[in-house]
Amino acid sequence: MAKTVNVNVHHVTRVEGHGNIVVNATNGKVEKVEWQVPEAPRFFEAMVRGRSYEDIQTIVSRICGICSITHSLASTKAVENALGIKVSEQADKVRILMHYSEQLQSHVLHVGYLVAPDLFGLPSVVPLAAKAPDAVMAVIRLHRLANEWSDLIAGRTTHPVTLKPGGLTKFPTEKELRELLGRLKNCVADLKAVAEVVLSAAGNIPNFTRETEYVSLKQDDPPTYTFYHGDITSTDYDGAVSIHDWQSVANEYMNDQSTAKWTKWHRESYTVGALARFNNNAPLLSPMAKDVAKMFGLTQGCCNPFMNSVAQIVEAVHVVETSIGMIDELLTAGIKPENVKTSPKAGKASGCVEAPRGILFHQYEFDRKGNCVGADICIPTNQNHAAIQQDFEKFVPEILDEGEDAVRLKLEMLVRSYDPCISCSTHMLNVQFVR
Amino acid sequence: MRKPTVVLGLGNPLMADDGIGVDLVERLEQDADRYPAVDFIDAGVGGMSVLHMIEGRRKAILIDSACMDEAPGTLRRFTPEEVHSTKILAHQSLHDADLLRVLMLAEQLGQAPGQVVIFGIQPQVVEVRQGLSGVLLDRVEYYLAEIRSELERSAG
Repeated sequence: MAKTVNVNVHHVTRVEGHGNIVVNATNGKVEKVEWQVPEAPRFFEAMVRGRSYEDIQTIVSRICGICSITHSLASTKAVENALGIKVSEQADKVRILMHYSEQLQSHVLHVGYLVAPDLFGLPSVVPLAAKAPDAVMAVIRLHRLANEWSDLIAGRTTHPVTLKPGGLTKFPTEKELRELLGRLKNCVADLKAVAEVVLSAAGNIPNFTRETEYVSLKQDDPPTYTFYHGDITSTDYDGAVSIHDWQSVANEYMNDQSTAKWTKWHRESYTVGALARFNNNAPLLSPMAKDVAKMFGLTQGCCNPFMNSVAQIVEAVHVVETSIGMIDELLTAGIKPENVKTSPKAGKASGCVEAPRGILFHQYEFDRKGNCVGADICIPTNQNHAAIQQDFEKFVPEILDEGEDAVRLKLEMLVRSYDPCISCSTHMLNVQFVR
Repeated sequence: MRKPTVVLGLGNPLMADDGIGVDLVERLEQDADRYPAVDFIDAGVGGMSVLHMIEGRRKAILIDSACMDEAPGTLRRFTPEEVHSTKILAHQSLHDADLLRVLMLAEQLGQAPGQVVIFGIQPQVVEVRQGLSGVLLDRVEYYLAEIRSELERSAG
């Protein structure tokens, strides 16, 4: 049946975390499909100019409330690369543990609070808590564990305070690590429960595929399902590009639909995030994570963007299982005190890590006093905008016959599946007094 | 060990007056010794993490910038029941969060503190820059006095 569909999910100023979805179709003919991102340009890069290399992390950790550890790690690695600062194996391992806590925190939140309500046909987690209280409680317990894990290693839940160029200001004690180890072992049951609940509604994951280039880190030495070390690779490219050459991968450009920069590499767009990491690195997942992928029928080469949420569940299991092994290693070696001193010098370099929502690049240049004279940050969400647009263009004609409400909902679900970070730097209250 | 009362400072110090909550909680923390039963937390743009910070407390005091249709710099003390949120969430991202909805969820899960008090401060400027506007900066002592008297009442 020929359909006329007009979708205009348009958010006015001061609505947070938004992009606009515009679809116009008349008598079954699609006239306009657009993913518009009217994000205010970010000025954080300007904010770090003139600041000491020792202050960069504290500032950029506030760019985002969800990915504050990730921004902190990317910037600290960039600073260390620029100033030639080395990090001990112990500090490196503890930082990766810190990073894993944020992966768990973010993935569990995204799947539990944003994706699960969609799959159960509910508007938000609030009604879901009434319908599936056990599952929501499992999500909340996991989120709490991840928060306390961040607290322990990063010094607090968001905006870490223990990182410094060259290492950490404070290491967890062996007693604290043993307690964390016990809690991580115990949380496996909750992870399985969440996976089971999502699996029970997995029939509602839209069946949509588009041939896509997936970009992520890869690490060969030693072979690792990496979030932290390695080079840049893609499903369209057999080799690897040094993270210092990230601009030749991102190829950022301006687009009329958006004030955020878009990116492309071998195709008109590429995708980053959990599914990209999975597609590039799946054989290196932990055994339990592989089992969860199998449970959902998720295999390497998957080009259904909605499956990103499933890849997040797989990764949540992976980071817990891997952390258990890493804590064992740290305890066997024993925690040794470190007192690293650094000194300023001129230099320019990049740092790169995988944010929960995809690969993140930071680049800084410092003068001989160690003051920042230039910065360039490329966030994962901007790298996904072109892919979301291309998904829209393929998906809309496929679902047009389902009517306006279904088109709107499915496009919103598609955006959510990318787990975007849009305008997340402020969260003011907006209230009216009722009494 | 969790203390019975928690004071959360919310906001982003990189966004001018949006950082008022964090600024005030840092100042309050400087004389934390006066309040042995109170945890002071810089919660940043805490979002859902607020749920865990308030869980198991007798009282939670939240300090945040708030659009209340008041003159810039105005401070209002209110409880969640006294307001309704006019915030429209796109629900596209984890990053959009509404403190009042987080409190609602805490209530529903039986994890809400016995008492929740919010100090909302109407911002003058919210834009990417560090530091509070003069209007708010001039009133910092007044804000601190109001929050301290709330803490004295809690102790009593």
